[in-house]
Amino acid sequence: MNVLLEVKELTKIYNVGLIRRKEIIAVKNISFDVKPEMFLSLVGESGSGKTTTAKIILKLTKPTSGSIIFEGKNIENINTLKELRQYWRNVHGIFQDPYASFNPFYKVDRALSQVFTLLEGSSFDKESIIKEALREVGLRPEEVLDKYPHELSGGQRQRIMIARCYILKPKLILADEPLSMIDASTRAGILKLFSRLRDEYKTSVIFITHDLGLAYYVSDEILIMYKGSIVEKGPPNEIIEKPQAQYTRRLVEDVPLLYKKWSGF
Amino acid sequence: MIPRIIKDLLKIKKLDVSLGIFLGLVLLSLLGPMIYPVDPLSVVGPPERPPSSAYPLGTDNRGRDVLAQLIGGIKNSLYIGVIAALISLGIGVVIGAISGYKGGLTDSSLMLMTDVVLVLPSILIMMLVAAYLKERNPIFVSIIIGVTSWPWVARAVRAQMMSLKAREFVYMSRIAGLRDIRIIVEDLLPNMASYIFMAFVLLMSGAMIAEAGLSMIGLGVTKGISLGIILYWAQLFESVRRGLWWWFMPPGACLVALASSLLLMSTALDEYFSPRLKGG
Amino acid sequence: MPILETKGVKAYYSTPLGYVRAVDGIDLALEKGIILGLAGESGCGKSTLVNTLMMNVRPPLRFIEGTIILDGKEISSMNRSTLKKNVWGVLVSLVPQSALNALMPTQRITDLVKDVVTHHMNVSEQEVISMAKKRFEQLNLEADALYRYPHELSGGMKQRVVIAISTLLNPKLLIVDEPTSALDVSTQKQVLKMLVDLKRAKIIESMIFVTHDIAVLRQIADWIAIMYAGKIVESGPTNDMLINPKHPYTFSLVNAVVTPEPEVKSRGLISLSGEPPNLLNPPKGCRFNPRCPNAMEVCRSKEPPLEEKSNRLVACHLVSS
Repeated sequence: MNVLLEVKELTKIYNVGLIRRKEIIAVKNISFDVKPEMFLSLVGESGSGKTTTAKIILKLTKPTSGSIIFEGKNIENINTLKELRQYWRNVHGIFQDPYASFNPFYKVDRALSQVFTLLEGSSFDKESIIKEALREVGLRPEEVLDKYPHELSGGQRQRIMIARCYILKPKLILADEPLSMIDASTRAGILKLFSRLRDEYKTSVIFITHDLGLAYYVSDEILIMYKGSIVEKGPPNEIIEKPQAQYTRRLVEDVPLLYKKWSGF
Repeated sequence: MIPRIIKDLLKIKKLDVSLGIFLGLVLLSLLGPMIYPVDPLSVVGPPERPPSSAYPLGTDNRGRDVLAQLIGGIKNSLYIGVIAALISLGIGVVIGAISGYKGGLTDSSLMLMTDVVLVLPSILIMMLVAAYLKERNPIFVSIIIGVTSWPWVARAVRAQMMSLKAREFVYMSRIAGLRDIRIIVEDLLPNMASYIFMAFVLLMSGAMIAEAGLSMIGLGVTKGISLGIILYWAQLFESVRRGLWWWFMPPGACLVALASSLLLMSTALDEYFSPRLKGG
Repeated sequence: MPILETKGVKAYYSTPLGYVRAVDGIDLALEKGIILGLAGESGCGKSTLVNTLMMNVRPPLRFIEGTIILDGKEISSMNRSTLKKNVWGVLVSLVPQSALNALMPTQRITDLVKDVVTHHMNVSEQEVISMAKKRFEQLNLEADALYRYPHELSGGMKQRVVIAISTLLNPKLLIVDEPTSALDVSTQKQVLKMLVDLKRAKIIESMIFVTHDIAVLRQIADWIAIMYAGKIVESGPTNDMLINPKHPYTFSLVNAVVTPEPEVKSRGLISLSGEPPNLLNPPKGCRFNPRCPNAMEVCRSKEPPLEEKSNRLVACHLVSS
């Protein structure tokens, strides 16, 4: 299988208002492909449509038009609970706010035991699989399992979210701003967890981010999104060194750099 | 986790005061018949006597003991208040939760129904139904009140549901393949628990006043006693003009105390829970 | 004479569980005409520090000890009303972190301007407006933004307006706390340009810029101070600090910066284990020792003093030896 996920002419229009209806075009006719073992970044600012795209791929919301083909099958036809569960076993998500990703009423182990609903078969030693996954992401099960979300740090919570993926070993992960609420000094460690998923389990990741630097560092391909459309697509070096679209050029010029100073400053 | 919440709640002065008043009156109604075993409806002495050692709150126009009536009245008012509130809560939460979670056509149609019930003049409906039924027992009265008071609860629960639905932990439960019902019950309702409890308190307060209102126009329970019924008779026999203060003041004061202590409780709870919900 | 000098400043938050030692012994000297970048991660105490530096200390925050001398005046011994009258807005101005959200939605910008100025100066409304207009023009801001309501302005515009208003009484020191964290990169650049212009036009003499974004400091700061767990661990000229960081924490911070530059790819990213400490009960000795790859025995027992080392100030036993 050469292509894991195909996004074809995807569009999402929201209709707002009761009497005077207003159309908000969140995603405008976008198309792109994701290959196995690939890191791809959707880069854009808030309102660019990148999070909406992720939610559509995760089947959390329906597109207005266009299609998404996963492993050759149109995901629009995935409707029964059994099929949905199979889909989510292969395509999973990690969100930005490691606090909001947990229900504050339950201990954090619920976030991990939940995903066994997606795995077929019932004869699992759930406890040891969970403990193993926590160790894989650098957490000590004794320190973390019996706690409530507010008792853990942001970094620890995000690692637990990634541990979900170590249990599932999905083929594709949608990571929506996974590092933006993590302290800078611990970000590289979290990034390594994604790399290991790719190296060990051949997982592809679509990173949704506003951080061009992060996208440049980690991706095989970058897609720049602006107001719902993809304005430029390419490997990181080309995007940074030879940006073609006006928006991309502006982005590249305005990102503060460490090794070069802005002119006129 | 539960004991900690109770400990924290008891530290709030507003809650202590209001809970104290409310529980005091509840205890009065429960223990009263044992300490003061006088039948509220039978004639025990001369009519319209002011409070004395024999009759602590005096007698009404027929010679019945006002204190006994008060004790029995509080109990019935509370009873109707609780039942009516539970009925309203049940209907409102179910409709609001389903409407908010499902969205789309389900949401539109349920909300249309809610709006219709909302704009119906509930007092008139209550009066019509009550007048039509010759025999009105406490359950009937509770149902009448309960079935007309739920729309605001449904709308509020729906709004909470819609905002909670977009929280990331709900997404995580959805992509974990949990069934919708399980998500509503496990993920969403606990986060609304504090709100639902407050709604219950408010509903109860409103139901007791509604019952008093119905009774004061003669449409309350046909047999038995309640605070509203005492007030009805007191008002019917012009107790205000005639200065029979022991007849109308105690039930009025108790009704106000019950309703406002409940309102105060819900305010205190709201203050306690809201910053929590925001701060996480 | 430095515009701001502090010695042993301590400010703690009083909580039911004890004192949170957010600012724990800060010695700082800011020379005139410098933009100082105060950098650190969340929870290091930098916002608390800048509020303390201008004596904006309200319960549960308590000023424990220390001296703060601003423009030759000891503000650490002044009471709140003196500060309001003679210091705030006039000598030093702070644009706090959530300034954008603190604008009254029912007030036009002109009302805010009038409030700020008439509190300190006895001038007519017209004079106030013309002062504001002049300042806006100096900074390339459209003057008619003055007549708008906050919600009619974009995020970047609001931020620039707030900064402009904070300079109206010509304070000597401007402190901005994370002014661009919520803005997109292009708007951020506009705001940063305005700050640099403020200094070039000599409207503001000195500035303290608080942020967690080291790349931004590279662009506008002359001097950088790194904060960790309530203490300053290193400070020095920007370029030197970034090319040759001496303190292990500075080294990790700089090497964790991710910018779209090939040097970052070849250098790789450093990650620290663990988390910043709980300031209720900070570690003994050097507060960074649990996470420091070079921690020695002395680091666990004795706190390293902030010492001068060539053109820097560093608090590290390894560097001192």
